[in-house]
Amino acid sequence: MIQTETCLLLERVARQDRAAFRDLYHHAGPKLMGVLLRILGTRSEAEDALQEVFTRVWLRAGRFDPSRGAGMTWLVALTRNHAIDRLRARKPEQNDDDAAALIADSAPRAETRLIAQGEARRVSECFDTLEPARAEAVRGAYLDGLSYEALATRHGIPLNTMRTWLRRSLLKLKECLEQ
Amino acid sequence: MTDAPFSPQDDDDLLAAEYVLGVLALPERLAAEARIKTDAAFAARVSAWIAHFAPLNEAYASVPVPPDLLPRIESRLFPKAAALQRSWRLWLAGAVTASVVGLGVLLLMPQSAPGVVIANLGTEGSALVYEARHDGTHLRVSRVTGNPAPEGQTHELWVIAPGAAPVSLGLLGSDPLDVEYPRPPQGWVLAVSVEPAGGSPTGAPTGPVILTAEL
Repeated sequence: MIQTETCLLLERVARQDRAAFRDLYHHAGPKLMGVLLRILGTRSEAEDALQEVFTRVWLRAGRFDPSRGAGMTWLVALTRNHAIDRLRARKPEQNDDDAAALIADSAPRAETRLIAQGEARRVSECFDTLEPARAEAVRGAYLDGLSYEALATRHGIPLNTMRTWLRRSLLKLKECLEQ
Repeated sequence: MTDAPFSPQDDDDLLAAEYVLGVLALPERLAAEARIKTDAAFAARVSAWIAHFAPLNEAYASVPVPPDLLPRIESRLFPKAAALQRSWRLWLAGAVTASVVGLGVLLLMPQSAPGVVIANLGTEGSALVYEARHDGTHLRVSRVTGNPAPEGQTHELWVIAPGAAPVSLGLLGSDPLDVEYPRPPQGWVLAVSVEPAGGSPTGAPTGPVILTAEL
């Protein structure tokens, strides 16, 4: 299974195994590149970010704890974090809207790609308990790395309303997920 | 719609979720990041939300990576290995030929001899010398001349395979270092660097490399 392979590679990378690092790059690189491209919007910035991500993977692999989650989950979290840090550090005039415009039409397709099993099915079911527009806001925030500001613009509502909306949706999601 | 207040627990949990989603503005985001490092309960909430949202990762498409990126990452991550190898080559070419001859003689000794000396880190007359022995299963490195690292610092032992990054074998304190480790083959390098107490924070040498020896 893919997750297991990622875990094994990460454990070897933690022991400074360069061959494993190379294998991990070929194994996980395309997925992480997909994350970066979707959030950052341009190939040149995504490639730049991918270098930084794999530098961090090499330095931080020792902190990966397989008992606390899958290897690919850890890698995607690290990658999303870096991409979002980059987005938030951008100057206001080149904000998230460019990236959002590029990927806005892919959101519904993304939804259908959710694996309908286990935890994935559960998350999908919990999203279904939200109003469709709110579920889309949460999903869009996650997948595209949108800020409250960008979300408010996308949904055409004031920033504070967006914030309240999203926080209520998150609370509802949490209640559903922890049932 | 009214903005009813959330309970403090909910507030913490929502902040964790907002951080994982990535919706926060930079100052709030940095504050949350700082809190993850100091507040274990908050860090656990963040981990829980990462797991909750992980199934959404399926929606990220895989995109081919450009072939020239990996060499660029490697040259950025591993310059030390290259520099270190250059430095011990110079070191070998210099005034220490005599000790290399001595090492050669030691390498010719029967492998079954317990705790055979496989390398001397430091030369005769050095202020600091470590001796590396191998008994077939364990590598034992002890200080034969000089003092341990001053307070707040430590000596760290590294093994370097040809063309590879240094791998830490442990810290060299007052007592000899004894680790179960296969006998490093000829051409590998042992090195000692000066690191902050507790060892290198990055997993790679961060301080000056003070001693090296090729096996």
